[in-house]
Amino acid sequence: MSTFHEGASSSQPYKDPTPLPASIPKVKEVGATSAPLKSAAFFFGAYCKEYNEDFMLCKGENRDPAHCLKEGRRVTRCATDLITKMRENCLQQFEEHWQCLELNNQEYAPCRKPERVLNKCMFEKLACFSLAYAGLVKTIPGTPAGQTPVHEVEKPFFGRMQK
Amino acid sequence: MPPPGGFEAVQYKRNLPLRGPSGLAILGGVTALCAYGFYRVGKGNIEKRELQREKTWSRIHLVPLLLAEGDRDAFRRTQAALEREREIMKDVKDWEAGKSVYNNPRYRGAESIVVL
Repeated sequence: MSTFHEGASSSQPYKDPTPLPASIPKVKEVGATSAPLKSAAFFFGAYCKEYNEDFMLCKGENRDPAHCLKEGRRVTRCATDLITKMRENCLQQFEEHWQCLELNNQEYAPCRKPERVLNKCMFEKLACFSLAYAGLVKTIPGTPAGQTPVHEVEKPFFGRMQK
Repeated sequence: MPPPGGFEAVQYKRNLPLRGPSGLAILGGVTALCAYGFYRVGKGNIEKRELQREKTWSRIHLVPLLLAEGDRDAFRRTQAALEREREIMKDVKDWEAGKSVYNNPRYRGAESIVVL
């Protein structure tokens, strides 16, 4: 017989090998670690905008995990699609940027050089998607009008300590 | 009688070396330096705010992806738990597995889990 444990204070990891019910379509998880995800975050926000908004609106309706499985699968498929496209077109730039993030505490400021190369590559190679998906250009919502976006500032105050 | 060629000039002026810039110049210089420093601090604060905005939005953009993945996992675990409950309670008549204790259809996350 199983005993009750507080989930947070368990001595063993909470593992449950039971697979999803067969009625739920399978989707492969993205499987990327935090640095690649952070590197792709703004492109993900632009490329998968509709799916993301759909999913979050659905979550707003009901917090039940069972309620938004379909929308969630769409989000994940879109993310996988984007990462595949990035790896097909800008593999080297992508790798350089997320490796830089990995080495710099996952902060964007010290990694502007590889980031600009990646942004340029994404803009040039994936321009055909930019019409359909409101541009694969990094834009930070809420930046005050008339101000240079922080990722395009020529001489920033904050960056790498070592040159 | 005076010596031939006259007397030497009497030194009545104080012979002090130049003591550097005047107090007013130093005060002005320090004020200017401080003003420039505060200007830089202000600019830096603006940039820091924008960097924070960038970081926040990078996380906001990733929320749906991570939430979707977590939801699938939570759903899978809930279904497995329900299946176990059904199996354990199959002999009890009129037992509804996973029935809420509240008379309210609103979703509530599990308060406790059984770690196997």
